[in-house]
Amino acid sequence: MIINFKGAKTYIGTGGKSLDITKRTLCFLHGSGQNHLSFIQQARFFAYKGYSVIVPDMPAHGFSDGNPCKSIKENAEWINDLLVELNLKNVVVIGHSQGCLVALELNKIIKSALEALIFVAGSNEIPVNRFLLDLSKENPQKASQMMVTWGHGIDGDMSINKWPGHSHYGEGNNIMCMNKPTALKYDLNSCNDYLDGIDASKIIKVPTLAVLAINDQMTPLKSGLKFVELIKNCETHILDCGHFLPSERPMELNSIIKSFLSKLK
Amino acid sequence: MSENYKFDTLSLHAGHIPDKETGSRAVPIYQTTSYVFNSTEEAASLYNMEVGGHLYTRISNPTVAALEQRLAALEGGASALACSSGMAAMHLVISAICSSGDHIVASSKMYGANINLLQHTMPRFGIKTDFVNPNDPQAIERAIKPNTKLVFGEVIGNPGLDIMDVPEIAKICNSKNIPLVLDATFNTPYLMQPFKYGANIIVHSLTKWLGGHGIAIGGAIVNGGNFDWGDKEKFPTISGPHFALGGISFWEEFGPSALIAKIRAEGMYNFGPSLSPTNAFYLMQGIETLPLRMKKHIENTRSILNFLVNHEMVEWVKHPDLETHPDHEVAKRILPKGSGSIVAFGIKGGREAGKIFIESVQLASHLANVGDAKTLLIHPGSTTHSHLSSDAMKEGGLTDDMIRLSVGLEDINDITKDFERGFKAVKKLNK
Ligand SMILES: Cc1ncc(COP(=O)(O)O)c(C=O)c1O
Repeated sequence: MIINFKGAKTYIGTGGKSLDITKRTLCFLHGSGQNHLSFIQQARFFAYKGYSVIVPDMPAHGFSDGNPCKSIKENAEWINDLLVELNLKNVVVIGHSQGCLVALELNKIIKSALEALIFVAGSNEIPVNRFLLDLSKENPQKASQMMVTWGHGIDGDMSINKWPGHSHYGEGNNIMCMNKPTALKYDLNSCNDYLDGIDASKIIKVPTLAVLAINDQMTPLKSGLKFVELIKNCETHILDCGHFLPSERPMELNSIIKSFLSKLK
Repeated sequence: MSENYKFDTLSLHAGHIPDKETGSRAVPIYQTTSYVFNSTEEAASLYNMEVGGHLYTRISNPTVAALEQRLAALEGGASALACSSGMAAMHLVISAICSSGDHIVASSKMYGANINLLQHTMPRFGIKTDFVNPNDPQAIERAIKPNTKLVFGEVIGNPGLDIMDVPEIAKICNSKNIPLVLDATFNTPYLMQPFKYGANIIVHSLTKWLGGHGIAIGGAIVNGGNFDWGDKEKFPTISGPHFALGGISFWEEFGPSALIAKIRAEGMYNFGPSLSPTNAFYLMQGIETLPLRMKKHIENTRSILNFLVNHEMVEWVKHPDLETHPDHEVAKRILPKGSGSIVAFGIKGGREAGKIFIESVQLASHLANVGDAKTLLIHPGSTTHSHLSSDAMKEGGLTDDMIRLSVGLEDINDITKDFERGFKAVKKLNK
């Protein structure tokens, strides 16, 4: 659905079902340079399982207009305001990559009742190398291409895909190209500048799930494992793939999330 | 991980990794119509397009999917769909994008069935086409109307070998937000990848060079993922609510792969031109050696061109790699590795000479196909167009002395010797 939010056209994927604010809502937060299409195989899956689903395109991403947020905190505030605007009472926040950092900050300020946090390919910090930061400014398309190749496990290279006929690389590049060209540089700088992750992880009180990937080169497994140690009682799973877990291992990820959700009160 | 494998490697590997259970190195042929669901929930998920997977071979199949993913990788596209023939691919694309009242701009110099579909069949369903000279980007621009939904042409035209100036035409289509759909059968991704030049959708007859051995009919659509279908008025069945799946918007839900998702959910579902898993396997076997074969096709074509240009029995030779070809400059720019292995030439002595030549060669096969590993010949004047007068043939851009040659991979000396046999027989007749 498209709404006018803070004066800008804002797209919110709802998994092919209309939003029902009386239900528990799963709020998916996409990663750097991504948009709602990172969660193609999660949005519809959970919407058809009776959950209310929102997958917002952050400002300047996907189908959303507006100026890109310039820090993780600004992203979290924007999401918090959106949840209020949509009048969502009970939410589970699911972040992928940068979306995990946003979720950490959102946890501090959220006005809706936060029922659980789910971190996919996440960490408490996402340092970005200087080369990629510079490239994202000078040639965002090239930077996107490099992220898509680094980001996927062997399935990317070999054009293996659970969705018949689809290519992780071809699809991934074009998903990133849908964003406004400046979006990527603000995302990557936001990640690189975010230093509050350790404290933010320690204060999590809600049930938490982390799903990490063995061959993640963007938020390496080592960093992810340190991160989950900071959180009290974080249920952790590790899958055999790259950073783009939602499209590389959709069924496995969905069933881990589904089983975690079924344990929530 | 992030190896970014090159074309030759992808031709062999893309789309398949040996599974842990059997270790089968070759892509298995999943000769099955359907797939056991683990639960009712899983079945529903597949039907609702919540997640990817196979439910019925008319829609998708693991062997066919390996072929599709190989093609997507070789073309650099977002997604691909294989189907029963090149013509099926063409029809699926048109019916996915256009509805009654819509308009198409197409090249006037194309494969006969492509022309027939657009000129005679589609108008019965309210979809009209204006044909324009493919070498004239401005003419294409002028032909575009408010209800034009796609521009279509062949990168290398069959049989005239006209070359489309793909980057120029893509610029025009892009500025008007109209997808450029190209039949890339004659170039294959080895010679040229149209998405790099701004095209949006590719259709292939896999029957030809991609399969490469003349053993299986097949087609494919590769979706660049680089087209914005967001205009709900222009592309209502892709971006607006579709009757399938409770009013799904393919564009919102699948983004770059919207077109392929729609074709699977509607075209494959409702028309059903599926490719058999066994044929998918054969076609993939062919693709494994595509780079090797194309190199040799081009090498042999260059030698044959040299032979024909200098032959006393040859009136004219047409190939875009020759400086005499009107599109030679465009060919050099967008097809630097070579412009394919189809050659047309005129034999001295006209229609009768063509007939004698074809009947006298022994190695080259006289048949109606192109892109086989074996050398193929046809003389339209005494076969496909034998009912037409010389003048009528000229109107269609053909001449009665024309022989169409699909250069194969045989030893080049054997091919030229074979042709000498044909020329000798013609000479005898002329005496
Ligand atoms: C350029 C071109 N496109 C499409 C086709 C149709 O392909 P198929 O025979 O696989 O349907 C052909 C067949 O000759 C062709 O030459």
